[in-house]
Amino acid sequence: MIRPKLITELSISERPWIRRHQGQTSVWIKMLSTVIGAGLIGTTASTEAASNFDRDIRPILSEHCYPCHGPDAENRKARLRLDTKEGLLGSAGVPGPFVPRNPEGSEALQRILSSDPDELMPPPEANHPLSAKQIALLEQWVIDGAAWQRHWAFEPIATPSLPRPSAPDWVTNEIDLFIQEHHQLNTLEPAPEASREELIRRLTLDLHGLPPTAEAIKAFVNDSRPDAYERLVDRLLASPRYGERMVWDWLDAARYADSNGYQGDRERTMWPWRDWAASEFNRNTPFDEFTIKQLAGDLLPHPTTEQILATGFNRNHMINGEGGRIPEENRIDYVMDMAETMGTVWLGLTVNCCRCHDHKFDPLSQRDYYGLFAFFNQTPVTGGGGDPQTPPVIELPSDSDLTLQRATTKEKAALERTIIAFEKANEERLKQEVNKPDIATILQENLEKRSDAQIDTLVKSLPHSLEAYSSKLKQLKSLRQHLAAIKKRIPKVMVMADRAEPRESFLLNRGLYNNPGEAVSAATPGALPPMPKDASRNRLGLAQWLVADTNPLTSRVFVNRQWALFFGQGLVTTPEDFGSQGSRPSHPRLLDWLASDFRDQGWNIKRLHRQLVRSATYRQSSRVSPDKLEKDPENLLYARGPRYRLPSWMIRDQALAAAGLLVDQIGGPPVKPYQPDGVWADFSFGNKKYKADTGAALYRRSLYTFWRRIIGPTMFFDAAKRQTCVVKASRTNTPLHALATLNDVTYTEAARAMAERTIRGSASDAERLSQAFLWTTGRAPHDEEKAILENRLAQLKERYGSAPAMADALLAEGQHSAAPDLDPIDHAAYTAICSLILNLDETLSKQ
Amino acid sequence: MKPTMEQRQRMTRRHFLGQSSLGLGTAALASLLAKDLKAASPNSQTALQGLTHFAPKAKRVIYLFQNGGPTHVELFDGKPSLAALHGKPVPDSFVSGKRFSTMTGKADGKLMLAPVEPFKQHGQSGATVSAFLPHIGSIADELCFVKSMHTDAVNHAPAISLLLSGGQIPGRPTIGAWLNYGLGTANENLPSYVVMTSVTKNTTCGQIFYDFYWGSGFLPSEHQGVKFRGKGEPVLYLSNPKGVSQAVRRGILDDLSTLNKRQFHDFGDPEINSRIAQYEMAYRMQTSVPELTDFSDESEDTLKMYGPDVKEQGSFAYNCLMARRLVERDVRFVQLMHAGWDQHNSITTELYNQCRDTDQASAALVRDLKQRGLLEDTLVIWGGEFGRTPFIQGKLDDRERWGRDHHPYAFTIWMAGGGIKPGMSYGATDELCMNAVQDPVHVHDLQATILHLLGIDHERLTFKHQGRRFRLTDVHGHVVSPILS
Repeated sequence: MIRPKLITELSISERPWIRRHQGQTSVWIKMLSTVIGAGLIGTTASTEAASNFDRDIRPILSEHCYPCHGPDAENRKARLRLDTKEGLLGSAGVPGPFVPRNPEGSEALQRILSSDPDELMPPPEANHPLSAKQIALLEQWVIDGAAWQRHWAFEPIATPSLPRPSAPDWVTNEIDLFIQEHHQLNTLEPAPEASREELIRRLTLDLHGLPPTAEAIKAFVNDSRPDAYERLVDRLLASPRYGERMVWDWLDAARYADSNGYQGDRERTMWPWRDWAASEFNRNTPFDEFTIKQLAGDLLPHPTTEQILATGFNRNHMINGEGGRIPEENRIDYVMDMAETMGTVWLGLTVNCCRCHDHKFDPLSQRDYYGLFAFFNQTPVTGGGGDPQTPPVIELPSDSDLTLQRATTKEKAALERTIIAFEKANEERLKQEVNKPDIATILQENLEKRSDAQIDTLVKSLPHSLEAYSSKLKQLKSLRQHLAAIKKRIPKVMVMADRAEPRESFLLNRGLYNNPGEAVSAATPGALPPMPKDASRNRLGLAQWLVADTNPLTSRVFVNRQWALFFGQGLVTTPEDFGSQGSRPSHPRLLDWLASDFRDQGWNIKRLHRQLVRSATYRQSSRVSPDKLEKDPENLLYARGPRYRLPSWMIRDQALAAAGLLVDQIGGPPVKPYQPDGVWADFSFGNKKYKADTGAALYRRSLYTFWRRIIGPTMFFDAAKRQTCVVKASRTNTPLHALATLNDVTYTEAARAMAERTIRGSASDAERLSQAFLWTTGRAPHDEEKAILENRLAQLKERYGSAPAMADALLAEGQHSAAPDLDPIDHAAYTAICSLILNLDETLSKQ
Repeated sequence: MKPTMEQRQRMTRRHFLGQSSLGLGTAALASLLAKDLKAASPNSQTALQGLTHFAPKAKRVIYLFQNGGPTHVELFDGKPSLAALHGKPVPDSFVSGKRFSTMTGKADGKLMLAPVEPFKQHGQSGATVSAFLPHIGSIADELCFVKSMHTDAVNHAPAISLLLSGGQIPGRPTIGAWLNYGLGTANENLPSYVVMTSVTKNTTCGQIFYDFYWGSGFLPSEHQGVKFRGKGEPVLYLSNPKGVSQAVRRGILDDLSTLNKRQFHDFGDPEINSRIAQYEMAYRMQTSVPELTDFSDESEDTLKMYGPDVKEQGSFAYNCLMARRLVERDVRFVQLMHAGWDQHNSITTELYNQCRDTDQASAALVRDLKQRGLLEDTLVIWGGEFGRTPFIQGKLDDRERWGRDHHPYAFTIWMAGGGIKPGMSYGATDELCMNAVQDPVHVHDLQATILHLLGIDHERLTFKHQGRRFRLTDVHGHVVSPILS
């Protein structure tokens, strides 16, 4: 078949539809002449037709035209609307601005091509001109018949047919078929499989957030069974470390923190929710159930404690307790935050853009926004005050506290009965022996209602003869205090509930709390499939709608984030925006295959993770040749394995694990590891003082670190702020990061413990160095590397040998117990070497 | 490394930037590329050339941010008619329909409060400055007072956020981050966006410094301001651990570099090379930061000029001198934030301390920059997030507790140096300091002007986020041309 020529392949004279002013060469023609022959680049120009509206045209219209001719009705110019089929192409009998197969008669195209600045679109003053390539694409599209398509992400998720493998040997599962297809089209060869050492480190970091142990590496390298890899994957998926790793990104999305944020930044106790979320990953709760419980567990029939606890998700937002704030303004902020977080996490849409006006790019109106808002607007929270345990809350005592609380309550009741009985039996005696009017008043008071102060007064006035009675009263007071202390330490998790009396919701003009417009009721956005007729119009109905088979977004958005977890970037590189301004998927059919499979196979997260890591795509080596790098610098075609710097929390956990310091206790209240003095004080005018914990609490996984919102833990860099929902990891590279991993006592102490561990582990320097190197990189050093390390070790021994005080100082870093039986010079030299190893690019990266 | 490989890496980076920054400002793109070129010849000063939209008048900015809302009524905006109305109810026409903080609620019937200290005309320009600020008054001819500032927000955090990031809700990049992103870093040894905070001694003020005041918002986090701490080490984790000398560290870094280069040869990931470079910069910072904070090379006269607190780390005076030392070292954006201007009930008490702690050092900084020829291309800005109400908060008969509430409708800032006309006042409020009536300057206009002075068109420095091309000035802002020199 002969392919028609692309516009970029045509010379100017071959484009007769361009209306030209006499004697004038339009600017775009000059521009065009420079790009002719450049051809189409990009990774998606492949199996699809030459002109593809959704792929090529909508992004141009969205970026350049929608701001004035898009979904936002209020700011629409010239009543021209280019975001709908009718607006673009007209309707029966009424021609639109673009006329299929008629570039000359397409008014919009002519305006785009115009050389008259008064006519030209987009107007020059918008400072955002179309490129020659974009213009050519528009022309080609009109010539090809101006076919229209809906935005891909709003199309139902169908199960695409599987591509036929071109090289079946490489393919492990369905993922590889799609990836291979794109390799082929772009004449790329996949990279060879990574070594076993590389694979087990990559897998263990990805699934556990920890490096593999030396024993695990050895076992895997020597496992000759054909399913050794699959066995390894299954073993890792079954460990509780898996949930601890997977929950981190969920916490970023859920803006989980241990304080309110804002001035005052009071401490809250949401950590039981954090532990619940981690355990859900370990239990492999299906994602639809996980969704429903978190958004609406309280609305399920006869909700269990766990289902109510799950709704803490929505209450993880910041709370503003500043004086002078209007409660209703706060309340509206909180409800908006709930709706927007839901919008980002499940729909991948930037619904927040519609707070104040219709969406500029996506078919979301301001009314749609307040429709979503209304689902969350039934909260009884008033917005007043800064109580970090603002009701509704759920109390979650530990088993031991619960037992203690019950026993103490029982004991107290028995004691009270004894006292009451005594007082009754000795009414007269008491009157006589304690003849004071205030005491009489106290005695008349119901025992339960007597204050501690009243009991004190009473005890003081009792004569010696009533010693037994007096001691019973003292005992009562102490039991009361004991109970109060238990009550105080029982965490109260803020959860969801709906008011008995429904609250009316309004569209808020310009998003202002005090500027209500028309009334709105809870509703899902009109551009998406509707809620089932019989679904309740509350959060439960909303959650069920999110995970309904017909919802085009939830599954796509979730599998995309899971892809990013293993490959460093999503198939859609804007996980927060699946709208028309977001990136198009690099592999649309793979995304749909994964999404439909995930949805149809019971929203099974472990299954999805297993699929991803079992693929040949994932198992490729991350080595890249200059040629391949040039061809695909961002690895969007996945012709090599992922390689990127680990998140900072994982770098810390890895160091603790390599040092043998890591304490693997699961869950519980947050802990405070090392942090330089004065950081909190500096941010809070001295109101908050950080006191690092001691002992085991210093070595818990990063997940359990106390997260203060106004100033997050300083040992983590590039971390989400945990102030609002974040679904895309930041990955930058600055000198401040280097300073942290070189100088933070966390790492110096880890180096010291790691040094001790390797000295005790082997007798020769060569073995010790290899061992330490393996703990972080997962492999033994090559000869050249060995030589460098051995040489450095010798120099360090010499240096510390001539300055033993320096060695002692280094060995005093951190609270970890000293190793007096080791030679301090050796130990210090190894500590410096271990610090070096902890800072290798290879250590800091997953590869 | 083979030269061909290096070239290819660079081409690749160029490709990457070209691909990923389709919606980015051209300045940003160009500068990112230029940074690469610069890396090839570390001492070249070409980073700013050809990247900006106009010829820049300023190369560096020092923002002396006065948190809390300094009272324009007391400090700069002397209006005799206000004194005449002292104790009388505010005329309706000035406040009807206006929103104030919940502490004031409706302004109807509030009593007017005259400034508590007299004003004086200063210098040849005859600028009006209160007796509260004698030192600032003494440099009036260097300054341009903008007396018609106004803003949209009535509470501190949203107003500060609006001024520094263009949006009331946290999450947008601040001015320094935009500049970092747009112009690249001009600095090999220090971060190009540095923040320092201080607070007046013994103040009752409780405003905190949120980190989003210097955040990078949706820009990559490398663009966020680096906060120098007011106590202890200015930069977290700057010093080596005890027992690691610089010689030991140097040896370790040399090996790290060799081993990482080896890794690069094996894996070919260009990120490895930039990691090597960042470790080297970290090492240089370990020298450059202590040198920066070592005032022993300052003359007695200089130290004296900044006032008695200058040697006290974390004081405003100390931070002012640090600001000069930073711009001397070509740090592009220094944001100094001083809290305590929130005089709800302390106009007659704490305001005196507030001025005492800031007046002398602010003036000294301008003088010092001028003496060293740095003022010419360094823009200095002094001001807060809003003004204070010309009417009283508190009771007229309780002078000790006189106060003023937040006031977004008018406030004064001053600017100096880097392309700003000296010795002028711009704009004016009405006769009661209530509303900016003549040549009003919105905070977005101020932002547009700052960018303009650095050679950037505020409408063209954009970043695509959540599908929208964001800019510092949102969809507003006009350059205030009459104050440009």
